[in-house]
Amino acid sequence: MHNLLDFLRKYCHVLLFVALECIGLTLLCRFNGFQGSVWLTAANDAAAGVQALNTEVTSFFELRNVNRALTHQNVHLFRENAKLREELASLKKDTTLTEKLMAEKLKDFRLIEAMVVSNTTGGGENYLVINRGEADGVKPEMGVVGGGGAVGIVYLTDKHHSLIIPLTNRKSSISCRVRGQNYFGYLQWSGGSTRHAVLDDVPRYAKVKSGDVVETSGYSAVFPPGIFVGRVKSVGNSSDGQSYKLDVALGTNFSNIRDVQVISTPYKAELDSLFSKAAKETL
Amino acid sequence: MFQTIVSRIAWFFALWLLQVLVFNHVHIFGYATPMPYVYFLLILPVSTPRWAYVLSGFVLGLLIDIFANTPGMAACALTLTGLFTPWLVNVFRPSDDDENFAPSRKTMEWSGFTKLIVAAVSLHCIAFFLLETFSFVDFHEILIQIISSSLLTSLFCVALELIRVK
Repeated sequence: MHNLLDFLRKYCHVLLFVALECIGLTLLCRFNGFQGSVWLTAANDAAAGVQALNTEVTSFFELRNVNRALTHQNVHLFRENAKLREELASLKKDTTLTEKLMAEKLKDFRLIEAMVVSNTTGGGENYLVINRGEADGVKPEMGVVGGGGAVGIVYLTDKHHSLIIPLTNRKSSISCRVRGQNYFGYLQWSGGSTRHAVLDDVPRYAKVKSGDVVETSGYSAVFPPGIFVGRVKSVGNSSDGQSYKLDVALGTNFSNIRDVQVISTPYKAELDSLFSKAAKETL
Repeated sequence: MFQTIVSRIAWFFALWLLQVLVFNHVHIFGYATPMPYVYFLLILPVSTPRWAYVLSGFVLGLLIDIFANTPGMAACALTLTGLFTPWLVNVFRPSDDDENFAPSRKTMEWSGFTKLIVAAVSLHCIAFFLLETFSFVDFHEILIQIISSSLLTSLFCVALELIRVK
């Protein structure tokens, strides 16, 4: 402290000088147009230089965020691109005869467009998950059709997703008939290729040959009659020898299925109540 | 002592008025302007505290600035001169330890006093004209201004010394 005071006493004239020069220079730049402008220009130049440096450094450290944002955007654009490409393809695609016929059959039903978001194939437990659920009006036991024909039946529903038992599941059993003949059987799948299923219990007096169309029979509320399922590939005997067992080449390719429609049957509730009434009566 | 103070104050105002009324209007060839107010700092006795040099330089410069409409220019230059004048006096004074030494042509001889005048005046002129132009763009012109003004101011200072010290 003492040293500091000594120092101040010894150099007070220098401090005074500095203070007075500051005042003088302030006056000089404040009240003299030319000096003021020179000072302003120089100060602006210096400030601009510092700002430029600052901006450069900041932008360098911002690069990480910019990079992240760009990646986000890129992914978003990728997805959008893929979606648009798909939409374009579906718009350009020729509507096949199956689809045309199916659309005709289904025109009285409400169809819920859906997309397969999960598809487990292989093994006996094949399942599909679609991106429509209760919120969209999907209920269990509704039929699902795709571009190649019948796909399966809704098994469980969640708010926005539904689990579908496809034809290629051992639990699946759909009432089908050969087109032009009213004898029906049950379409079942016994493992192996997902392009084939078996139509069992077709009476022997039905005239069936390979190449015939197999369609839904309409004997359940799930599918309306006449929905394409597949074609007969070969005719064989069932294990008890009483009926035919048809090897059916399925119309739907389950390994690349993507867009499907859920058939919202308007009379489902009515039929259900009838069935339950009948069950009560027999009790 | 009191007489010295009074006489210095008298010189202060005399130089101020002289500068404001006469010398500020002199521009020989558009370059040389006499600024003999520096003379006030040179004749202060060495016993004057150094802060008084600085402060009186600033005040005198500011008073002149106000009338010359150049705020800060002479003030800055003369404050700088005030800071270095005691040091210049010590450089050029004869080596005797007189407490009441005051620079003049008698105490320092003509040679020493003239050197002091030229040194202090040059310093002041350099500072003044650099502040006035505030750039080095026209350095040639600045140099002419500095040299001619320094010579003219020194001349006036010598004349003042002749008037003051009989």
